[in-house]
Amino acid sequence: MSALPISPLAALAACEFALAAAAGAVMQRSSFCMAGAFRDLFLFRTARPLASVGLLVCLSAVLIQGARGLGLLPLYPFPLLGSPSWMTVGGGLLFGVGMVLAGGCVVGTLYQAGTGRPSAWWALAGLLLGSAAYAEWQPWLRALDQQTVLFAGARTLPQVLGVDPALLALPPALLGAAALWRRRPQLPPGSCPVAGAVAPWKAAAALAAVTAASMAATGVPLGVTTTYAKAVAALEALVAPAHAGAVAYFRMGPFGYVHPWSGLRLAGGPGPHWDGVSLLQVPVIAGIFLGAAASALSLGELRPRWRLPRAQAASALVGGVLMALGSRVGAGCNLWHVFGGLPVLATTSLLFTAGLFPGAWLGGKILVKSVMRP
Amino acid sequence: MSESSPHRTLEFDLRGQICPSTLLTALREINRNAADLRSGQVALVFRTDHRDAVGTIPEAAAHMGHRTAVTRSDGCYRIMITGAGWAEPGEAA
Repeated sequence: MSALPISPLAALAACEFALAAAAGAVMQRSSFCMAGAFRDLFLFRTARPLASVGLLVCLSAVLIQGARGLGLLPLYPFPLLGSPSWMTVGGGLLFGVGMVLAGGCVVGTLYQAGTGRPSAWWALAGLLLGSAAYAEWQPWLRALDQQTVLFAGARTLPQVLGVDPALLALPPALLGAAALWRRRPQLPPGSCPVAGAVAPWKAAAALAAVTAASMAATGVPLGVTTTYAKAVAALEALVAPAHAGAVAYFRMGPFGYVHPWSGLRLAGGPGPHWDGVSLLQVPVIAGIFLGAAASALSLGELRPRWRLPRAQAASALVGGVLMALGSRVGAGCNLWHVFGGLPVLATTSLLFTAGLFPGAWLGGKILVKSVMRP
Repeated sequence: MSESSPHRTLEFDLRGQICPSTLLTALREINRNAADLRSGQVALVFRTDHRDAVGTIPEAAAHMGHRTAVTRSDGCYRIMITGAGWAEPGEAA
């Protein structure tokens, strides 16, 4: 058998980059916004954007169970799923507030940054600050997390109930997908002047395909937020090496699994060095950013802007901080939980998502009363 | 509306702003200028780079009984909201 032209690790990174770039372009063209989906339920009393997210989750569940049936997900559900705790709900709540104040979730922030929106850069700065804050508080927060564990060892609802995952996940997913498909969110009626628009339901279907493909290729869902912690660790190692060396969080290595197709062990953590986390997440971050930028450029809409009212800049910064804290406390961001964990009925993801609702409600209240006041 | 009634255009440049400031600002200004919009004395123009606002603002304006015209230029969108009483120069309301 002839050798592969590239190394397995390079192939993995290239695959993640390509999938993320496709996702970034689709999200830019459809304005797919998870922050808006949860926020608008309360702020504008519309469930239409949330229906797109619901469709994505249902289609992802169907595709993931199909891939599992074909033997493409030998690590099912996926490694690194922890036990749920009350801190998971708290993490979701913090993240929910943060994503509304930031004007986008961690994915929305990336694709908006790719199109030149200034609030996204403030949110990215907030993500770094929040990661730095979490690193300092991590020992205390980890202890609190361990004291509030709800189900030790139970990673998914099927495991809690002792039921085959397909039997529990597929029927509601198929019913949900069928119901949402019939009422699939279309483009606005009449001629649509938005250049290159992609209907929300098509975006949901495309992103579900990306999710399933990524899980089949890597064994884990898409994720990005640990990389912000790594960036902070690298920065601190540069400017304050003695302090960075004393931060216990940067020495942790909680991420580790054997990649099913290459047999390579991918391991790592929030420390400043290049590792398995970097291999999987940096291509995703770069892909979403560049995919959105390329899409905007092709439409003539890539326009870096710098002006932003001070209240909105502050809101985006604070929002980024809260998203970083929420994702660390909640053991993952909305990309990890909503795209990856919900379709497999992961208990942490169910709790994190439950926390997103009150968080988005509270974030909307703060946005209207304090940020957007006339 | 008499021929001598002034009508003016209020423009808002919302490019680059945080989501959903475009929609929130539009709703606020539509409500603030509701009477003048209905009588055709004022038109509201919002310049935005938020692609979703091109759908949400016209929909909201239509629910309130106003008309919308959307044009695209220079990589962004210009959303003009007028009431039933608005007449372009040279045409009757």
